Amino acid sequence: MKKAIALALAGVMSVGLLAGCGSTGNSSSASTGTDAATGETSTTSSGAGSLSISWWGGDSRHTAYQNALAAFTEETGIQVDTHYGAWSGWEDQTSAALYSGNAEDVMQVNWNWLSQYSGDGSKFVDLNEYSDIIDLSQFPQSTLDACTVAGKLQALPVSMTGRIFYWNMNTFKEAGIEEVPSTLDDLYAAGEAFKTKLGDDYYPLAMGEYDRMLLMTFYLESTYGKPWVEDNTLQYTVEEIATGIDFIQSLEDNHVIPSLQTMNAAGIDGNNSIDKSEQWINGMYAGIFEWDSSATKYKGSLADPSGFTVGNEIKFGDKANGGFSKVSMGLAITETCQDKEAAAQLINFLLNGDGAGIMGSECGIPNSASGLAAAEAAGAVDELVLEANTKVMQFVDFQLDPTYESNDLKANPGGVYTDVFGGYSYGEYTDSTEAATDLYDGVTEALEDAAKG
Amino acid sequence: MTPMKLETRHKIARFFQYFVLIVVGFVMIYPLLWMIGATFKSNAEIFTGIGFIPTNPTLDGYVAAVTQNYGGDINIWRAFLNTYSYVIPKVIFTVISSVIAAYGFSRFKFKGRDILFSIMISTLFLPQVVLNVPQYLMYNTFGWINSPLYLPLWVPTLFATETYFVYQLVQFMRSIPHDLDEAASIDGCGPVKILYKIICPMLSPSLVACGLFQFMWSCNDFMGPLLYVTTPTKYPMSIFVKLSMDGDAGFNWNRILALSLISIIPQLVVFFCAQDAFIDGIAAGSVKG
Repeated sequence: MKKAIALALAGVMSVGLLAGCGSTGNSSSASTGTDAATGETSTTSSGAGSLSISWWGGDSRHTAYQNALAAFTEETGIQVDTHYGAWSGWEDQTSAALYSGNAEDVMQVNWNWLSQYSGDGSKFVDLNEYSDIIDLSQFPQSTLDACTVAGKLQALPVSMTGRIFYWNMNTFKEAGIEEVPSTLDDLYAAGEAFKTKLGDDYYPLAMGEYDRMLLMTFYLESTYGKPWVEDNTLQYTVEEIATGIDFIQSLEDNHVIPSLQTMNAAGIDGNNSIDKSEQWINGMYAGIFEWDSSATKYKGSLADPSGFTVGNEIKFGDKANGGFSKVSMGLAITETCQDKEAAAQLINFLLNGDGAGIMGSECGIPNSASGLAAAEAAGAVDELVLEANTKVMQFVDFQLDPTYESNDLKANPGGVYTDVFGGYSYGEYTDSTEAATDLYDGVTEALEDAAKG
Repeated sequence: MTPMKLETRHKIARFFQYFVLIVVGFVMIYPLLWMIGATFKSNAEIFTGIGFIPTNPTLDGYVAAVTQNYGGDINIWRAFLNTYSYVIPKVIFTVISSVIAAYGFSRFKFKGRDILFSIMISTLFLPQVVLNVPQYLMYNTFGWINSPLYLPLWVPTLFATETYFVYQLVQFMRSIPHDLDEAASIDGCGPVKILYKIICPMLSPSLVACGLFQFMWSCNDFMGPLLYVTTPTKYPMSIFVKLSMDGDAGFNWNRILALSLISIIPQLVVFFCAQDAFIDGIAAGSVKG
């Protein structure tokens, strides 16, 4: 009984403690409420003269958007409510908001969302209707076409991105190589030099499953001169894909890239990207094949970033350059927006106008010509990303199909790409034809699913 | 000679017992120590070493964690206040509503009780993911999305929706002898008075356990606030910690870890304050259950 009383007391005390937290919480939130009241009263009034916008990103992007929006409000008197966060979970939240009609007026969208959530054109406004407010002529026609889904220009491309090689030249110099690799033979030579001069643990390039798939697509498109997928149909036969898988394997065999077993042992897998590995940080893996927009991240994680260099795209075959670029993100107006003219004005400001100067390269190198000019004039463009982006855009000659990045294919673990390239590297397939068949079937199935909607 | 020998043997045994306990304990606590050490490290050092003592200690992580305010929208203190402004009502309402529901199930015979109880137990195994969509649609009809009062986050707890706690309390209440209720009712207590005069005091360890569990789960909940809170000034801690974690641009891990460390301090304090009652509570529930 005594114990029960003691426990009861402890219970009461802890409740008291919680209640204590509660009262301080309430009183101080009331006081901060008054601080914020001046700023909030204007933004919470919905209806005319107010917009909302949502985006995902990191700290620097949040700041850039906030500054640009403040400038917009100053110029037009239109208040803009914001909603922002990190990428993880963002798509869950956004899809729920889109389906329930709670989405913000202007939305930063991922390119595949256009076909995924608005394949019938029901969620986003056709921006062609607002061409008197938004200067569409600043965008290349090809990127506008890429954002046209169900006959509507559903978003404006903020930036384009593509894959390119980055090299840590400090390690290359240790291996006696002064020049950035520019041909396939250079890669093989680098593999040999790394092995003999630096040892078995050093590799000129490191690639995960999805990186391998991308590089194989570059290789195949260059060798055969046709796109990977066109009109929702895979353009390659099993035999052709097998040559691509053999090519990736040749990189592994020639010590250009470590096997996936080696990389997994080093702690690199679907959850841990290469930039977080000791091997990359200390320069034992001296190259990556990554998005142009990721340059800063990979450079920033190096213990000694002085050797970090944007490489050249490598032309593997003689039919075409190969490779593709894609719309990395866009800005769209949702159908639920009340004041679509004002939203169009905001998009024009952020992409073509003064806002682009403030945004700089925070969302990638601006796709709009006037936007890029404004960003360069403001000195807000990351030189490294600009160099990589320019090289990619000048080289690649194919478009990406929206299913390429579908979750069924790309997921790690569990996606088709992951299973095929992981399985082949681990020696689970008897030959490349078997692996190619799996890849062919997986991609065909994903395309059929996409066609069904 | 013999007793002496026995004593040494005991000492040796004791030494090995403690040795094993200390080694295992150290292994268990190491991740936490590592996290504390990592808040003082740079990114490169975090990913390259397993040691927890930083070679070039820096306070940048803490400074950034405390000063980052997203253009005045939200900072760490505000995120704390936001979190507790819905977590505390949630905890209190969960405990009250679960006790009432459990009281009904364990002390009263009414038509359909067993069926209702089995239905309730079956919802125990429903994962939250399954509920997200219908709940979101329902709250959307109520107009509760982005409610400034966090309505979707705490209102459901008024209706004993936390099946786990109801179940735990029902099991515990069954162990309280009915004689006590009867004695009380002879002395003139009604059913309500019996609940708060007789049953609640006896249940208190279990109530504390419920409260603490709910407190920790609610503080750590990410999906709820993510779906229902869209104004940055209203973000709770779980969202705030993740705000700058952008995979594309990279970020300073020491800041995130410092932030996480600061954010669990109140939970630790509450836990240690209620520790005795909490552990008794779990043990009591487990034996009876």
